[in-house]
Amino acid sequence: MVDTGFFALAALLLHAFAFLLLALVPPLRRRGRPAALVSILCAAGSLAAAVQAWRTHGGETISRLVWDWLPAQGQALATVGVLADATSTVMLTLVGLVALLVQVYSLGYLSDEPQPALGRYYTYQSLFAFSMMGLVLSPNLLQLFIFWELVGLCSYLLIGYWYQRPAAARAAVKAFWTTKAGDVGLLIGIILLWRQSGTFDLTELRVLVESNALPLAGLSVITFCIYLGAMGKSAQFPLHVWLPDAMEGPTPVSALIHAATMVTAGVYLLVRTSWLFALTPDVLQIVAWIGAFTALLAAVLACVQDDIKRVLAYSTVSQLGYMMTAIGAGFAGAGLFHLLTHGVFKALLFLGSGALIHAVGSNNLSSMGRLAKQMPQTAIVFIVGTLSLAGIPLFGGFVSKEEILGGVWESGLVGPFVLLMIVAFLTAFYMFRAVFLAFFGAPAPAAAGHSHEAPHAHDPPATMAAPLWILAALSVAVGLYTFFIGPGPLGEAGGAAGAEVVSPAWLKPVAVGVAAAGILLAWLRYERRLVDPAVFASALGPIYRAALAKFWIDDLFEGVFAAGTLAFSRLVGWVDRYLVDGVLNALSAWTLTAGDDMRSMQSGRAQDYVYGVAVGLLVLLLWARWALA
Amino acid sequence: MTGDVLAFWGLALLLVGSALAVVLSKNLFHAVLWLALALTGTAGVFLLLEAEFLAAIQLLLYAGGIVTIVVFAIVVTERLVGERISQTSRRIAGGAVVAAALLGLIVSAIVERPLAPAEPSIGADLTRTIGELVQTRFVLPFELLAVLMLAALMGAVYFARPDD
Amino acid sequence: MGLQAYLTLAAVIFCIGLFGVVTRRNTIGILLGIELMLNAVNINLVAFARFHADVTGMIFTVFTICITVSEAALGLAIVILLFRIRRTVMADHLDLLKG
Repeated sequence: MVDTGFFALAALLLHAFAFLLLALVPPLRRRGRPAALVSILCAAGSLAAAVQAWRTHGGETISRLVWDWLPAQGQALATVGVLADATSTVMLTLVGLVALLVQVYSLGYLSDEPQPALGRYYTYQSLFAFSMMGLVLSPNLLQLFIFWELVGLCSYLLIGYWYQRPAAARAAVKAFWTTKAGDVGLLIGIILLWRQSGTFDLTELRVLVESNALPLAGLSVITFCIYLGAMGKSAQFPLHVWLPDAMEGPTPVSALIHAATMVTAGVYLLVRTSWLFALTPDVLQIVAWIGAFTALLAAVLACVQDDIKRVLAYSTVSQLGYMMTAIGAGFAGAGLFHLLTHGVFKALLFLGSGALIHAVGSNNLSSMGRLAKQMPQTAIVFIVGTLSLAGIPLFGGFVSKEEILGGVWESGLVGPFVLLMIVAFLTAFYMFRAVFLAFFGAPAPAAAGHSHEAPHAHDPPATMAAPLWILAALSVAVGLYTFFIGPGPLGEAGGAAGAEVVSPAWLKPVAVGVAAAGILLAWLRYERRLVDPAVFASALGPIYRAALAKFWIDDLFEGVFAAGTLAFSRLVGWVDRYLVDGVLNALSAWTLTAGDDMRSMQSGRAQDYVYGVAVGLLVLLLWARWALA
Repeated sequence: MTGDVLAFWGLALLLVGSALAVVLSKNLFHAVLWLALALTGTAGVFLLLEAEFLAAIQLLLYAGGIVTIVVFAIVVTERLVGERISQTSRRIAGGAVVAAALLGLIVSAIVERPLAPAEPSIGADLTRTIGELVQTRFVLPFELLAVLMLAALMGAVYFARPDD
Repeated sequence: MGLQAYLTLAAVIFCIGLFGVVTRRNTIGILLGIELMLNAVNINLVAFARFHADVTGMIFTVFTICITVSEAALGLAIVILLFRIRRTVMADHLDLLKG
C-alpha cells in the first residue's frame, strides 16, 4: 500500500522539517520556547502520521518508496527511501510516541534552562527523532548505517548537552567512542555483505536468502560484524560501559535515547536482519550467551547503585540483554515485542525518576525517602513502571518477558535461561529497592543534610505529569491487552520476524514467583529492615564490592585504553622529538654551519674565484679521466 | 733537424725560465721585464713554426705594446702610491699543487694521443696566405677586431681619465 | 720536433701563468699571469695550425693577440681606476664582488 509508505515518509520528514527550521533560523532557535513549540507540533504531527502508517500497513505486505541515490551501471548502487512494513511501522509509532512525550515533558523539566540552550536542545531532539525514524524506515543497509551514525551523533550531542560539566563532556565522548568501536564492525559487515550479495537492499537480500542464493561461506564473519555494531549501540558486554555514564545527559534524553529508542536500535537491527542471522546459528549462540551474561551483569550492578538514573541505566542494559537473548534463541519477534513494551515502561520510569530528581534536586537514592506522601502521582506512575519491569501480570512487561523466557527455554539454551531467571529475580529486587528507598521508609541518615529540601518536594507540573500518566496508562493497557487477548498487533509485528512462542505451562507461575520473591526480599531488606544489612553485606561481600567497582570493567578498559594510548603517544612523541626533530635540527644545524663555511668561500675577491675555477677544472679533468675512461 | 731541436729546447728553457721568473719575482718591474723576455721567446717559437708574420706581430704588439702599457701602469700606480710596489704571493702551496696537478693531467692527455711527429711541408708563403684570408674569408671578424680595439682604447682612456 | 713537444711546452707555460694568477697579490701581477696563459694558448694555436697545414689557426692567433692587447689595455685602465677608488692594487683587498 502506497498510503503506508507515504505516511511513514511524512512522519520522517516532519522531524526533518522541524530540525531544519530550528537549525537554519537562529532567531527562532534562540527564543527557546517558540522553538520548542515548533518541535512539539511537528512531533505531534509525526506521531499522527506514524500511527496512521501503523494502522494502514497491510499485514505481510510491504510498502516501499525508494529513489535512486548512487547511480551505477545498470542498477543504482544505493537507494534512499522508506520501507514500511509491520516491524518498521510499529517501531516508528513507538519512536514517535516517546519522542513527542519526551519533548512535552522536557518543556517542564528544562524550564530553568536559558532560552538559547532550550532551543539548541529541541534542535537536537528533532534531529534525533528524524535520524531514529530514518533508521527504522531504512530500506537498505547503507541508509541504515548513515542514520545509525546520525543517532550516535545526536546521542553524543544530547549527553553532552550540559557541556560545561566535565563529567557530561567525558560521558559524551565515552559514549561516542564506545559505540563507534562497534560501528566500525557494522560498516565492515555491511561492506562484506555487499561484496557477497551485490546489494544493500534489505528486501532484495531477503529474497536472496529465502531462495538460498546467498553463499554461506564467510557469512558468520559478516553477521558477527553486524552484531558488533548492535553490541555497541545496544550496550552489550563488553561495550556496555558507556550507557551508565550517558546518564549525565538530561533525564528526558535518557528516557528517549537511552531507554526507548536509540539503544534499541541494535536490537532492531538484529530483528530486521533475523533471516540473515538464522543462516549462522553459531553467531546466534554468541548473541544469546552475551545477551544473557550482559543481563545478569547489569542486573547485579543495578543492585548497588545509589544514583537512581544509574539503576535505571543498568536496568536498561539488562533488559537489552534480554532482548538479545531472545534474538539469539531465534525468537526475534519476542525480542521486538519486549523492545516495544520496554520502550514504553522504561521511558515511564526514566521520566518518573526525572520528576523525582526535579523535586529533590539530587540523583541519589540516599537523599530521597518518604516521597510517596509528597508526590503521590509520581509514586503511582513509578510503581506502575516498576511492576511492568518486574514482570507482574496485568502490567506491561509481563507477557513480553514471559515470551522471551519461553522462547529461550524452547530453543534449549538452558544456560541463558537460568541466567535470565536470576535476572528476573534481581530485576524485581533492585527496582523495588529503588521504590522503597525513594518513596517509603525513612530518609537515610546520610540524607539528613538534604532533609530540609524534602518537604518542598511536590508533584511535577502538568507538562511533566501528562506524559507520565499517558505512559503509565499505556503500560497498563498494553499489559491488560496482552494478558487477556494476546500479543495482538504488537506480537504481529514480531510475528513477522520470528516464530511463535509456545511456552511451557509451568513457566508463568515460576516467572511470577521469582519476581514476587525479588519484591519480597526488597521489602524485607529495605522497608521492614528485617534482614540485617551487615549480614546481607557480609554474605554478599565480595560481589557487593565488585559490583560497586562495576566489576572493574570500566577500570580495565580505561587502563588498557589509557595505557595503550599513553604508550603509543609516548612512542609517537619520542619519535617526533628525537627522530623527526632530531633530523630537522641536524639538517638545520648542518645548513647553518655549512652556510657559514661556504660564506667564507664567497670572499668577493676575483682571484679566489679563479682559484675555484682552477680546482673545478681539475676535478672535471680527473672525473673525465677516471670516471669516463 | 738537430738545429731545430736545439733551438726548440733552448727556446723552451728560456720560456719556462722567464715564465717562472714572471710569477715568482719579487720586483714587479723585473717581472714585467721577464714577461717581455718570455713573449720574445714565444716569438722565437713562432719562427720555429715558420710563422714569421705572427712572430713579427708578437714582437710588435706584445713585447712592445703590452710591456709599454704595463710599465706605464706600474709607474702611474707607484707614483700614486708613493712607494715601490713589491710583489708578494699568497696561497703558494695550494696554487702550486693545483697548477701541477692540472699540468700533469694535461700532459698525460697529450702524451697518450697519437700526434703528428713532424711538420708537413708547406709550399705556399704563409704570410701571403694569412693576408689573403684576412682580406677575404675573415674580413668581417678582422673589421670587427678594429672596432674592438678602438672601443678598448676609448674605454681605457675613459677609465684612466683624471678625476673631475 | 713533434707536436707533442709544443703542446707540452704550452701546457707548462699555461700552468705557470695559472699559478701566477692564483697566487699574486698584486693586481698587475695577476694581469701578467693572464698574459702568460694567453701566450700559451697562442703557442698551441700556431703549433696545431702548422702541424695540420691549416692557416686558420694562425689567423686566430692574430685575433687573439689583438684581443689580448685590448684586454691588457682595459685591464690596466681598470687597475688604475680601482687604485683611485680603493687606494690599493692588492687583489686580496679588493672584495667588491662580495654582496
